[in-house]
Amino acid sequence: MSGPARKKPSAASRLAIQVVAYAAAIAISIFFVYPFYWMIVNSFRTQEAVLSRPLALLPEQFDFAAYETIANIGGVSLTTYLTNSLLITAVATALGVSIMAMGAYALYRSPKLPLFGTVRNTFLVAIMYPNMLLVIPLYFVVYYLGLLQSQAGNYVGIVLSISIVPLVFILFLQFFRNIPSELLDAAVMDGATEWQIFRRIVLPLAKPVVLTACLIAVLLNWKQWFQILVISTSPDTYTLPVALLSLNTEYGVNFQATMALATLTCVPVIIVFILTQRRVMSGFLAGAVKG
Amino acid sequence: MTTAVATATPRRLLPHLSRKAAGNAWHKRTLYLFLLPFAALTAIFGLWPIGQSIYLSFTESYTALSPQPVFVGLENFREILSNPDFLDSLWRTLLFTFVSVVLNVLVALVLAVMLSQPILERGRTLFKLAIFLPVITPDVAGFIVWKWMFNQDFGVVNAVLHGLGLPAFPGVTEPVSAFATLTIVELWHHVGLYTLIFLTNLQLLDRDLDEAARIDGATRWQRFRYVTLPQLRPAIIINSVYALIEFLKTFTVIVVITRGGPNFSTNFVSYFAYTKFGNAQYGEAMAMATVLFAAVAVLAAALVWAMSRGDYR
Repeated sequence: MSGPARKKPSAASRLAIQVVAYAAAIAISIFFVYPFYWMIVNSFRTQEAVLSRPLALLPEQFDFAAYETIANIGGVSLTTYLTNSLLITAVATALGVSIMAMGAYALYRSPKLPLFGTVRNTFLVAIMYPNMLLVIPLYFVVYYLGLLQSQAGNYVGIVLSISIVPLVFILFLQFFRNIPSELLDAAVMDGATEWQIFRRIVLPLAKPVVLTACLIAVLLNWKQWFQILVISTSPDTYTLPVALLSLNTEYGVNFQATMALATLTCVPVIIVFILTQRRVMSGFLAGAVKG
Repeated sequence: MTTAVATATPRRLLPHLSRKAAGNAWHKRTLYLFLLPFAALTAIFGLWPIGQSIYLSFTESYTALSPQPVFVGLENFREILSNPDFLDSLWRTLLFTFVSVVLNVLVALVLAVMLSQPILERGRTLFKLAIFLPVITPDVAGFIVWKWMFNQDFGVVNAVLHGLGLPAFPGVTEPVSAFATLTIVELWHHVGLYTLIFLTNLQLLDRDLDEAARIDGATRWQRFRYVTLPQLRPAIIINSVYALIEFLKTFTVIVVITRGGPNFSTNFVSYFAYTKFGNAQYGEAMAMATVLFAAVAVLAAALVWAMSRGDYR
């Protein structure tokens, strides 16, 4: 039976479908982005203005009072929180990415060495364990390690406890799996040491994945809060999200100041993400899908 | 000639082999050094707290931190499992998890199918960017913004509902709506990752199968149901398991938005354990943590088993 070719939809109905599809996609995108927009706009609006017109798309006039209010939160200067965020994120990322790259490489290179399987399984169990419930006993661990006694100890505890990012570790495992082992075996034949192979062959190949790993680690370390709250013995080691949380709960209800601090916490992340979105999303996928 | 070769070859290989053997030992030592920092951090900040947590769940709370903790066996577990508040909390956690897993996987699937349509080619990157943005921005900040958006005085949610002539949404002031609020906010935060996973899998689909079904006269829905969906099965399993683990652990959103209220309606297990910990009831807090971990492990394993078993063709 040579039935007639399926009727092509007319140009008009195609256009109609397209318009509806774009309208839906835009509406959905607004649902995801609008909270950030509302946060930024309202950080510049007075409380009275927000109460009378909560939906305003632009500030009537730019009011910077909230940013002045948050210059000091709970007796600690905003610059301290900002510095902590930058410092802790940078150090935890540099340290964590190095440690995870080498660890994942070793597991890939000789998965059958004694104890290597144990390390891998321990890691898998640890990431299954409800993170939030791991942080509470973490307090005791940090206490036993003597890291609660000084501010420097607090910083060390914070950085070490957040530096392993499961997603990034899996990303490295994934990447190394794709390096042809003949390449490394040939280098071994030529008498290269394991360190030389890592330094001269693997690292140059891994440059793109190291960059992706750093980006993802920066984004995920920046948003950490619970470990930091639990380990900190004073607000002096708080980062921006932790300061934001304490503004939310402890220091009364100041809508505008909360929006201002939330804006400062989010905007750097939003900028970095927009500039690097392709890399970040593909990194998340590689780490998530095949892990 | 052949014998000459046979004897010559081993001799030629020998120095090479011995160098390789020596290299092997050294190679192993280097690899252990490579793995050591990672193993140490995993042990100290992963294994030790888990061990600590399980150990404390068998001790009397007020002796937990003393040099000689008193072991009480399963007393803490008996205590929490006979506490109606805990059973209630466990039930609510499971209900929330079930609703959220189903909702997130469905919404992600719909969004991904929609975004994969060729007519949305232009602008797809922007749509993906929008949906993924909440996944990587600090959750504390996003949740705080939502808390205010649901606020009765400042909030946009009720302003919009009012503008549309609809009744106000009570937000976190009533148990059922508080539960719904958390579901919506958690979906907003997590669904982007699941969508992205589906979207990638959709783009890897076998186009020929779809084309063959189309030529055979299958309708759009039939093609989706019998051609696309079976191919997406691995992605559905992965997303369901991720979502299950994620939502059983729901915590930050409660700390920020509801603090377990109103009337303990959102007092999920992780938050309940956290408040017990705050009251120095370490034994009970850790017993709750252990129960939750068991739930995560058992349910995740059961889900993988159930989903990879049946062949729904």
